[in-house]
Amino acid sequence: MTTEYETQNTEKNIETHKDVISNEYNLEIETNSSNEEISHEATLYAEPIFHIGNFTVTNALFTSWIVVAILIIISIIIKIKIKQIPKGIQNFFEFVIEGAESLCDQVTGDRKITNKAFPIVFTIFLFVLLNNWLGMFPFGGFGLIENGEHGKMFIPIIRSGTADINGTLPLAILSVLGANIFGILSIGLWKTINKFINLNALGSIFTKIKKDPMILMTAPIMFAVGFLELIGEFAKIASLSFRLFGNVFAGEVLLASMGAMLAYILPTPFLLLEVFVGVIQAFIFAILTLVYYTIASQDHEHEEHQEKHQENKHELEGAH
Amino acid sequence: MDSFITTFHIDWQIIIAQAINFIVVLFVLYFLALKPLKKVMKERTEKIEGGIENANKNAELIKNTQKEYEAIISKAKEEAHIIFKEGKEEAMTKKKEMLEEAGKEVEQIITSGKKLLESEKTKMIEEAKKEIVSLVVLSTEKLLESTNTKNFDEKTLEQIKKI
Repeated sequence: MTTEYETQNTEKNIETHKDVISNEYNLEIETNSSNEEISHEATLYAEPIFHIGNFTVTNALFTSWIVVAILIIISIIIKIKIKQIPKGIQNFFEFVIEGAESLCDQVTGDRKITNKAFPIVFTIFLFVLLNNWLGMFPFGGFGLIENGEHGKMFIPIIRSGTADINGTLPLAILSVLGANIFGILSIGLWKTINKFINLNALGSIFTKIKKDPMILMTAPIMFAVGFLELIGEFAKIASLSFRLFGNVFAGEVLLASMGAMLAYILPTPFLLLEVFVGVIQAFIFAILTLVYYTIASQDHEHEEHQEKHQENKHELEGAH
Repeated sequence: MDSFITTFHIDWQIIIAQAINFIVVLFVLYFLALKPLKKVMKERTEKIEGGIENANKNAELIKNTQKEYEAIISKAKEEAHIIFKEGKEEAMTKKKEMLEEAGKEVEQIITSGKKLLESEKTKMIEEAKKEIVSLVVLSTEKLLESTNTKNFDEKTLEQIKKI
């Protein structure tokens, strides 16, 4: 009985929550042409614009396709126009790549790691940046008018790919997954697994108990820390995806709100701010991915051994 | 979890499509832009480094050649100086020798001139003597003939002839 009551309560809560979300971002655009109200809801999710068979294409996915097309065209132009003496677009890209690489070097501290991680990090940056910017491009522009539950609805044809959790989640998953694959390739499968399921710590109970009885205390803690690391990987996915989604979506809502208050004039400074936010968010996503790659490629046990060795060396030197 | 999926309209098909989008961009950007660009940049860096290295080598070579040239020039100057000095010394010796020779020759000429003069003088004196004698004889004869004196004895005549 209690369980049924709880389930009903939860369902009610969900419905209320949905209403709140819907009401919070409900911005109405009035048109008098057909004496009918066309409303535009800045929804938390991307709106479907057309279907290919069973597959629903949302405006965020459509924007992502445009981004893919732009990046493919740029890549082809670079490939065609590439020369020993750079000019135009090649010159610009070389300048950007050199700057980005030196920035990555500051994070990784190792050119080899930079060289391996750079293509992924740079692609993430460009993909996210263009998605962020493209979402602002047709502000109040092209869209579809569909009959919804509450009358006619305006559905923008373009919505930033990163203003949809379905767009940021795969990026975050690929980023964290890629970092772990990179870790396996850099330090080996066994060491990477031991970061999360610390079998070494459990094994050390049997091997080091005679020398150090405290291992009975420390090894289970180390094993539990491994699980925390595993949870941490999911936290990384959540933080990466929700940070980007939240910022870009908030930007779009902000622009829509400003546009609803005073069109054309009021949104302009916020539009410039959002251009900046777009760069910052893309940069944060890319740099965090690089940090995950760098952490994954480092062998903590090896470092600990080295630190211990150094300490022993210093002690011995001190004794002498 | 269900509320999360419904609130955010989580659609695995779209998530997969977005992942594919990113992977496509990654591959295209890597193989068409990043890899060729980095290759060109690396080649250019290598060329520039090679060029700088060659320039340094050439500069070193020029420096060494300059040093060699300067050494050769200074050596040649020294040699020329020595040759000049030797030549001067030789010329001086030659000059001295020639002067000495000329002096000797002049002396010889003077001596031979003197000798010739002496012999000429002697010869002239002798000739003068002879002429004087013949003149004396002739005058004496004429004197004797004009005087017609036979006071002269024959002894005196003989003495005059001897003289």
